Amino acid sequence: MFLLDASIMGRRQVARGMFVIGMHAPEIATTVRAGQFVNLGWASGPLLRRPFSVYRADGEHIEVVLKAVGLGTAQLLAMELGDRVSCLGPLGRGFELAGANAVLISGGLGVAPMPLAARDARAVGMEVTWVHGARTAAELCAEAGGDRVIWATDDGSQGIQGTAVAASPDAEAVLACGPNRMLAAVAERWPHAQVSVETYMGCGTGVCLGCAMPLKRGGYDRACTEGPVYRAADVDWGALPSHLAYAVGT
Amino acid sequence: MTPGVSVDIGGLRLGGPVLAASGTFGYGTEVPLLERRALGALVSKGIFLRPREGSAPPRIAETPSGMLNAIGLQGPGVEAVVRDYAPMWAEWDFPVLVNINGESASEYGELAARLDGVPGIAGFEINISCPNVEQGGLYFGNDPRAAAAVTESVRKRTKLPLWVKLTPMVSDIGVIARAVESAGADALCAINTFVGMSIDLNAYRPRLSFRTGGLSGPAIRPLAVHLAHQAARAVDIPVIGVGGIIRAEDALEFLVAGCSAVQVGTATFVNPKAIAEIHDGILGFLEARGLSSLAELPRYLPRD
Ligand SMILES: Cc1cc2nc3c(=O)[nH]c(=O)nc-3n(C[C@H](O)[C@H](O)[C@H](O)COP(=O)(O)OP(=O)(O)OC[C@H]3O[C@@H](n4cnc5c(N)ncnc54)[C@H](O)[C@@H]3O)c2cc1C
Ligand SMILES: Cc1cc2nc3c(=O)[nH]c(=O)nc-3n(C[C@H](O)[C@H](O)[C@H](O)COP(=O)(O)O)c2cc1C
Ligand code: FES
Repeated sequence: MFLLDASIMGRRQVARGMFVIGMHAPEIATTVRAGQFVNLGWASGPLLRRPFSVYRADGEHIEVVLKAVGLGTAQLLAMELGDRVSCLGPLGRGFELAGANAVLISGGLGVAPMPLAARDARAVGMEVTWVHGARTAAELCAEAGGDRVIWATDDGSQGIQGTAVAASPDAEAVLACGPNRMLAAVAERWPHAQVSVETYMGCGTGVCLGCAMPLKRGGYDRACTEGPVYRAADVDWGALPSHLAYAVGT
Repeated sequence: MTPGVSVDIGGLRLGGPVLAASGTFGYGTEVPLLERRALGALVSKGIFLRPREGSAPPRIAETPSGMLNAIGLQGPGVEAVVRDYAPMWAEWDFPVLVNINGESASEYGELAARLDGVPGIAGFEINISCPNVEQGGLYFGNDPRAAAAVTESVRKRTKLPLWVKLTPMVSDIGVIARAVESAGADALCAINTFVGMSIDLNAYRPRLSFRTGGLSGPAIRPLAVHLAHQAARAVDIPVIGVGGIIRAEDALEFLVAGCSAVQVGTATFVNPKAIAEIHDGILGFLEARGLSSLAELPRYLPRD
């Protein structure tokens, strides 16, 4: 785990309201695994850091993808090139990639961990199908890629009309990220799927116990440390807060 | 020459005045980038005799310059602490105190008795101030007789250093401070979190599932400095200041206000290196002011 003062190196738009920010963070770029995240803080930002999955990593740079959903994300998107962000990571336990083929299912901002997942899956010889869904065509992230890409939109404006989960074929490894409601649907269909789950986080490093993830076997563990990637059947989906923005998707 | 910063807290010698606050440093094994040289002591996450699941999520909510938490004292129970953590603590070069909790005075005593003499455990911090449990916690911290009864019950079962952590949710902290001093406390910690609430306007309900939570972070600092100061004026035993410390200057405010040491909590979430930076900042301050040790720092502690 590293604590770096990272310069913002670039920003590009990938869907309506959705941007990718690049940062110079060499030690994190070379060690991060698919599904892991970084916890970002910055001068005159909110008190607590904000967690983001690593979207891409190459050479000395990492990227994160985000939308402005609140004060912190709006401030991050307003930053200039060269501005500095304190970057703590890589954090958490990522995806485990093994088997002949994988399907990556992402809803909206759930694309976040998938480019790295696609990279790592292909590196171990897996065939990758990426199913990416959003409400409408303009909200689909333009950068989904794999051996095969399946698009899904609620309004049918691009690809299959319906959810990404419904549009998805079966595979040996199923990886998913998106709103909790979508992940609960993944759990119904593929109990063995690996899902990346969001919670509020106090520290991101395992010391505050603020990121409690309710488990089917009872009790909680820490989404920042034992997660954020879980076996879908292990999470007690009914016990996750259902009224939060991240539960329903924004 | 580097100024001397070691301190004596009720018979326990600490290498520096900056300590890790309970519940913000786990059991010391989880903390990344830990710079041990700078850590005066570690107070463990609060434990009970038996394992506890803790409260349902959401457990935390950010508020202006602070955060609310209702963790609910999730923990593995005393046997796991003895088995899994104490042996590690025994190897470390800074002392580890265990933050103990109970639902009755005798339960606190039983917990202390179980931990007394276990290698690696340097002392106890009695938590009579946790706002996030249904029984015990805050109740003991509100009433001088109950606070004294808990302290006595632990004092009878151990000769190890005994600190009592006070709640700010009282009308006169001096009364509680004197009560636990008379009951045998070696030092006081002031303060634990304030009880607060924050409402989610989309859901028309509290943002925390426990409804209320403990407020920590810079938002509470001036309140905490005042309460620690009041406690320090009320007793002859050392007071450890806690609440909203982010930088060395914040810690120095508590020290000047009459505290012998400080604990750092929420700041560690924001900056895993906070304790080391605060420790180094205190050294730099003493040096810049030409003070050869922390003992020379002028204190503002008028006696009533
Ligand atoms: C492991 C992990 C990985 C994440 N990866 C990404 C990512 O790659 N891209 C991305 O855009 N977001 C990601 N998030 C969510 C992101 O952290 C939050 O959107 C962000 O913290 C909101 O900060 P804010 O200050 O803008 O919002 P706030 O002002 O704090 O809140 C605004 C709104 O955002 C919601 N929100 C706050 N915190 C979270 C959270 N942790 N998760 C979901 N919603 C939240 C609130 O309910 C509220 O409605 C991730 C979260 C986790 C836990
Ligand atoms: C997430 C969290 C968990 C805490 N757990 C405990 C605990 O188990 N026992 C205890 O005595 N205090 C606990 N505290 C209180 C802190 O030790 C400290 O008194 C308080 O947070 C004020 O200091 P700060 O503003 O530096 O965080 C906790 C605080 C936080 C934020
Ligand atoms: S966010 Fe603090 S323990 Fe997970």
